[in-house]
Amino acid sequence: MRTVVTKLKRGALAGLTCLLLWQGAALGAEAWLAEFESTCAKTNDAMELSTQELSLLIESCTRLQKVIETQEESLRKVYSKRLQLCKNLYVYVLDYKKNRQQSP
Amino acid sequence: MKKVLLICTILLAGSSLLWAAGGSKKKKPLPYDFGSVTISNYSQTGGMAPVVFDHWMHRKSYTCRLCHVDIGFGMSANSTKMRAADNAKGYFCGSCHNGKSALNKTKIFDSCATSYSREEYPRCLKCHALEKDPAREEAFFQFRDQMPKETFGNGINWEKAESLGLIKLSDQLDGVSIKKSGMKIQGDFALKAKVEGMPDIIFSHSKHTVWNGCEVCHPDIFMGIKRGSTKYTMIELFEGKYCGVCHDKVAFPQTDCKRCHAKPV
Repeated sequence: MRTVVTKLKRGALAGLTCLLLWQGAALGAEAWLAEFESTCAKTNDAMELSTQELSLLIESCTRLQKVIETQEESLRKVYSKRLQLCKNLYVYVLDYKKNRQQSP
Repeated sequence: MKKVLLICTILLAGSSLLWAAGGSKKKKPLPYDFGSVTISNYSQTGGMAPVVFDHWMHRKSYTCRLCHVDIGFGMSANSTKMRAADNAKGYFCGSCHNGKSALNKTKIFDSCATSYSREEYPRCLKCHALEKDPAREEAFFQFRDQMPKETFGNGINWEKAESLGLIKLSDQLDGVSIKKSGMKIQGDFALKAKVEGMPDIIFSHSKHTVWNGCEVCHPDIFMGIKRGSTKYTMIELFEGKYCGVCHDKVAFPQTDCKRCHAKPV
């Protein structure tokens, strides 16, 4: 009887661990997607952002790039392109703003 | 005298382009074919005909930005390198062509599948079709008849069609697009024409950003933000650079001089 209970406990524990791992992975996937959306949602306002804000967004893009590179092929292809467009725009606006500050 | 000089310059530029292209004259596409893109990365190795994509069919319902930013399509044929598997997973064409999405209450047909039956094969031919389809051609002319006319391109003045409310373009796709704040549109500006006697160019930011957002053009196509900082010539435009990335291929052709050189003299 005791062995059956022990086996059941072990099974339940293993199941719970799997569930937590799966949930963690799912949350991880959602986390980068949420970060991607919040980062690239500001492209329409790029010209209104400060150089500091733009730098933080570029940093976020660089971080996301590393995560996206680990995703499966189709997802990687789509999101790499989307991220590239958004990052390039921020870099471009930041360069413009820095040059404007430097020029007399 | 100025007019003669202008005509000579245009003829010289045109003949130089033809010379550079190996002396062969570029065939002007028919209105129905204007904006068609043939995509052939992997189709033929998979035993299928290349995909012939009709821009007119899609641009009557969606903005350029939606497909070229949110869905991730490149700006030139074959640059996206999409596979049937990508579409089947709901990316690229599969973002809409998934058998579930609808347009004007009509279900949009499903795109690629990794395997298909004999019965399903005609669906493949909706896109993988190099041969002319009279039904598609007829659909184009029926649509064009309801739109404001244009001399060049596919004979439709898309800008006017939208301003008259004849077409309503969708800029968001549920589950794909990011919700963004409204854009503060940069002002229109004039660019000095290089040829004497030619009216200056009026570039309308509002007309371009409403369909493209910022990131379609900047920085990939236009590097400069400051007016006039990106230097280019008409020859480069006819070679498909700068404005020529879209104009001549999908947007109205650059031979329609007055559409851009519009500043009253």
